[in-house]
This record gives sequence, structure tokens and C-alpha cells, in this order.
Amino acid sequence: MVILAGVALFLIIQAIPAIMADWPSNSDLNEGPTAGYANFWTYVGPLIWGTLFSAAIALVIGAPIAIGIALFISHYAPRRLAGILGYLVDLLAAVPSIVFGLWGIIVIRPFLLPLSDWLNTYLGWIPLFGGQVSTTGSTILAGGVVLAVMILPIITSISREIFLQTPRLHEEAALALGATKWEMIKMAVFPYGRSGVISATLLGLGRALGETMAIALIISPAILVSVRMLTEGENSQTIAANIALNFPIATTLQREALIGTGLLLFVISLVVNMLARVIAGRAGAGAKRKRSKMMAQLPPSDPSTVLAVDDVLARKAAAGHTEGADVAEPEIDAEEADAGVSGPFVADDRPADSTEKRQGDDA
Amino acid sequence: MKLKNVAAVGTLALATALALSACASGSSSSGTPDASTTPTTAAIDYSALAGTITAGGSSAQANAQAAWVTAFTAQAKGVTINYDKSQGSGGGVTNWLAGSYDFAGSDSPLKAEQQTSAQTLCGPGGALNLPIYLDGVAVIYNLAGVKDLNLSSATIAKIFSLQITTWNDPAIAADNPGVTLPSTAITTVTRSDGSGTTTNFTNYLSQTQPSIWTNAPGNAWPIAGSSAQQGGSGVVNTVKAGDGTIGYADHSAIGELTSANIQVGTGTDFVPFSAEGASNAFTEAAATQDTGIKGDLAQKIDYTKITDADAYPIPLISYAILCTTFADSTQAELTKSYISFVASEVGQQVAAKNAGSAPIPADMQAEIATSLELIK
Repeated sequence: MVILAGVALFLIIQAIPAIMADWPSNSDLNEGPTAGYANFWTYVGPLIWGTLFSAAIALVIGAPIAIGIALFISHYAPRRLAGILGYLVDLLAAVPSIVFGLWGIIVIRPFLLPLSDWLNTYLGWIPLFGGQVSTTGSTILAGGVVLAVMILPIITSISREIFLQTPRLHEEAALALGATKWEMIKMAVFPYGRSGVISATLLGLGRALGETMAIALIISPAILVSVRMLTEGENSQTIAANIALNFPIATTLQREALIGTGLLLFVISLVVNMLARVIAGRAGAGAKRKRSKMMAQLPPSDPSTVLAVDDVLARKAAAGHTEGADVAEPEIDAEEADAGVSGPFVADDRPADSTEKRQGDDA
Repeated sequence: MKLKNVAAVGTLALATALALSACASGSSSSGTPDASTTPTTAAIDYSALAGTITAGGSSAQANAQAAWVTAFTAQAKGVTINYDKSQGSGGGVTNWLAGSYDFAGSDSPLKAEQQTSAQTLCGPGGALNLPIYLDGVAVIYNLAGVKDLNLSSATIAKIFSLQITTWNDPAIAADNPGVTLPSTAITTVTRSDGSGTTTNFTNYLSQTQPSIWTNAPGNAWPIAGSSAQQGGSGVVNTVKAGDGTIGYADHSAIGELTSANIQVGTGTDFVPFSAEGASNAFTEAAATQDTGIKGDLAQKIDYTKITDADAYPIPLISYAILCTTFADSTQAELTKSYISFVASEVGQQVAAKNAGSAPIPADMQAEIATSLELIK
């Protein structure tokens, strides 16, 4: 906390001269990387956009994959494979971003070129894919793809833990009522883990916002506001990469301007992380644990009891939860009304080893 | 990218060593020269010197500094020299002004207000800008089927200001009679980070073609729409990887890429880069600016004066910046010895062989030696 306040204070003190300065008339600021801007805010505006846009691309690509992997590890993969896979994904987090950057330059850039051409030719009317398509591949799309890989481990490992915490009784109840495995996941796992997954995603977003080297290496940047993803010259620069690229050559006041942009990145990251905490805390772990403990005390063989208790609890619980529980029930009813063949079949089909697996995990 | 750069430097060092038929083992990692490649004609005996020189700044000088440090400390065994290239020119000057460095490496001389603030550090004698490093900006390209390309300054300005967008444009064809140019789209590759190379290149464009190149010169590339890459090696790698790409980089960093022959002046001669060419260009076009500081050798290059067919039109100069009066006289002596070695014929040859730079002309070497006399 003290460190955080110290960092904030440092950034503010350092940035104030540049934020206050009159940019067009200042001999330091009207040349080099800060030339041609009316004031600090017109300089930092496009950078903020670039930061958010690249992070958004990363999230759109990365989050579904990450959640998919998490789900596969927690509910689909055989136990041994799940362990290895989880380990491998966690290992991704240990790869330095400069290595991701080099990988992006050498592998991802040329790899995405045919896709870029295709998107530009057939979907060029969508602003995202419009413009003069890049021939070298230094696009914000390439940067976004690499960022997506970089945020995978964060989102995957948190989501996986959340999914594994789903009370067994919820899952078994859903299966007993005739849900297929996927329906069980939709009814029991997702509602339970939703807040956790959202906070995991926001933590991933925080990572993507602050990423520097990979972006600096891969993207061909320009300080402008653009939504085009496939061009050479219209990729919005991000704050972190801009600092890394221009800091060495910058004069004192230019450095202060760059620190000012860093201050805004700090604020954005702080907001994102706080949002993640708030969401994670709201349907927080405390409530969950209490709830699953109560579940565990019930006889596991009686799904109706489980659902009844769940219903009561749901009313007590925070708003985020009620929704999940309420939606889940009618769906189960509908499924039963279908008198589906799938019901008993799936219940029988439930992997026998998963009970052991869960117990193992709990221990 | 860095790895490739290092490898390129290593290759260069190795090639140099082979060319000299001398042993240059162990030079592959940082381009540092083997002391045995240094001519042993040094008249001055440095062996009595001892101490540490701390410096930093320009990354363009980095390879040359590494070569100088190795060659110098081979003779002055008691001396340690730390040159921090991670700072860049701006950071070098900032740290030097703060008193952390004995000298700064910078691609541009001190500005007037920096010179003023330098007087608080150096006393009324101020600071000296000494041009110790000379190289050329190469215009590199990768175009299938074209191995030899002539470019006039007007064509370069049009290409880099995105007025020419295909290789078979009449302007390029006019520079290259008899060459079949494909209709490939041109991708210009520039620096995304602030750079002294960009300063030199934009200076060249705005001086030679002010009506086509209307942007002010500076260390940041002013035009959006190019493929902006990090570092000279980023530009080189991207040019190499693409087709129809064209970019600019320090000549010493371009590796095996072909660089264009550049038109000198407004004539019909197109000149490839050569160390002699850069030295000749320096002699023709560089003039010492009057900064009011005695002994200061800040240069102003007038690119339009480069008209001889034996001069390369886009030279690049980098400086060592140091105080006339040091706080500590032994430190002054030490730094002076090092810089005088660097600016000597021997020092310049060491850099030319190991870092691929061009030696500064002899009369400028003499002027630097005179200026160094003032340092105390």
C-alpha cells in the first residue's frame, strides 16, 4: 500500500511539469517524439485508446480460449492429461515477454499475413479490417494475438481453480436431473464460477494493458486513434510501448511527459484491478465456502434437497448468484418435460473417476 | 532481433579479422576487437593511467565504443571504462548533465539551453562537443529481381513521404534507366523509437528537398503510414523479411542487405556507401558551428554541399560531450587520454575495422586534439 502510494506520488510529481507545460511553445516538447501536440492530453489520448484497443483484441481472442482450456482441464480431460496441460499453461507465464516479442516477429507476423489479406479482401468493408493491408505483418492484430497468448496462463489458472471449486452436489444434481455434461456445466459450473472468471479476465486485461516489450517489438505504431487492425501505418500506439521506445532519446521534459502517460496507465491498471477485486469479492470466496460446506453436510443422494437448499441460499446470496440459480431451474424443468432419453443416459455416463479426482483435489 | 544484431556484429568482426589475417577469436559476442588487430604505432604511453571512466549515451556509437574500450584498456591496463549504450543520446546527456558521467555520447550536439545548463556543471568554460564517430545512413531495400538501385534525393523524399507508392513509378524508373522495376507496392520502414539516425536522415531530406519533404527534422519519424520498427536492427530485419520494402539504417548495422546508390547533389552520379565517401562528405559539408564556447566542435552539416562523386551524400556524425573543466583533475586527465585515443588515427581505424564506421578526416582529428588541450 505504501509502495503503491509512493509510486503514484512519484509519477504525479514527475509528470506535473510536462502536464502543465505549454507544449507548442516549449522548446523541449515541440520537437522529437512529442512534437506537434497542443498539450499533454492530446498526446496521451490516442495512446490511451491504443492501450485499451490492443488489450481488448487480446481479451477477445484470449479469454474464450483461456476459459475453454480451463474448462477442459477441470471437467473434460483425463486426470493425468489435466495435470500436464495445467502445468504447461502455467509455464507460459514464465516465458519472458521479450521472447514472446521475438516469437511474434519471427513466427506470428508472417503467419498472420494470409489471414490479413483474406480478411481485408472479403471483410474490408468492416472498419476493423479496412485500410491498406500490411505487407510486413507488424499489425496490431499480430500484437493482439501475442498478447492473447500472454494472458492465457493468468485467465486459465484462475478460471480452472474456480471451476474446480464448483460444489459437487450442484453438478451431480444437474446430472441426476438429466442434464448432459455440457448442460451441467452451463447450469452448475458457469453460474457458480462466473464472478471468478470475470475477475480472472480482468486480471488478464491488466496484464495486457501493461505489456511493453512484445508490443514494442511487433507493432508498427503511430500515435493516432484507429480501429484498423490490419494496416502497417494505422496501428494505435500503446502507452507502455511508447515509453519504452522513446524514453532513451527523450530530453528531461519529454521524459516527464512520458512519465505522465505512465501515470495514466497506472490509473487505468489500478481501476481494472480494483474492478476485478470488487467483482471477485462481491460473490466472494467467503460466501462460497460457507455455501459449499452446507452442501457437503447434506446427503449427496438427494438432488431435490440440494436444489431446495440452493434456492433458499440463492435468495440470501448476492444479486449475481440469484440470477444463475433462477435461470438454472426452469432449464432443468424444461429438460425434464422433454422426457429426454439423454437424462438417465448422461447420468449413467458420468465418469466414474471424477469423484476420486475431486476428492484428490480437495485433499 | 537483438540476437541477430549480435550475430551480425559478430560476423562483421569475424570478417574484419579475416580480412586482416589476424586472430580475432572471442569477438563474436559483442563485437569487441582483439587488441592484436590494433596497429601498435601508438606514440603515447597510456600504461601509467589508472582509474574508471563512466560514460553512456548514443547506441550508434556502442560498437565503436566497445572497440575503443578494448583497444585502449589493452594499453592502459589500470583503466576501466564503462559505456552504457542503453541510455540513448537523450539519456546520456541527461545523466551527464546530472554529473553521473565523465562524458556523454550523443548523436546531436548540445542545444543552446543544454549548453547553458552545462555551465553549472563545467564552469564558465562550458562543454565541448567533439565529433568522434562518423558513419553513413544507408537506404536499404528488398525488392525481388533488383540488385542495384539508384535513388535521387527527390525520389527518396517522395518515397518516404509516401508520395510514390509503387516501385515502377516513373520517378524511380528515371533514376534507373534499363532496370525492369516490378509494380510491387512500396512499404517504407522507419524507426518507431527516437533515434539519431532519424535525425540525420530527416535533416538530409529537409535540406536537400525542402519542397517535397516539408516535415521538420527530428529524432522521431514524423509521418504516419510507414512500418515503424524498434531499433536499427528492427528496421533491417523488417526490410529483409518483406518484399518491396525500403528503409534507412546506420550503414554499420545493415548486414547483408543491399543499400541504394544515392545521388550526390543534383548531378547524375549515384554513389554507394563507403568509408572514404563518408569521410569526404564530412570534409565537404561539415562546418564547425560557433557556439561561443572555445574549442567546441559542434558540426553543422550542409547536405546540399555534398556534390563530389567520391562523397556519400548522407553522413552521420556522433559526438562525445565533455566538460572543459572537470571537478577532479585526475579524472580530467584520464578522460582526455581516452578521447584523444578515440579521436586519433589509430582509434578511428580501430572503429572503422571493428564497428564498420568511417574515420573522421585528419584535419578534424587535429582540431579535436587541439580542443582536448583545453580540458583540465
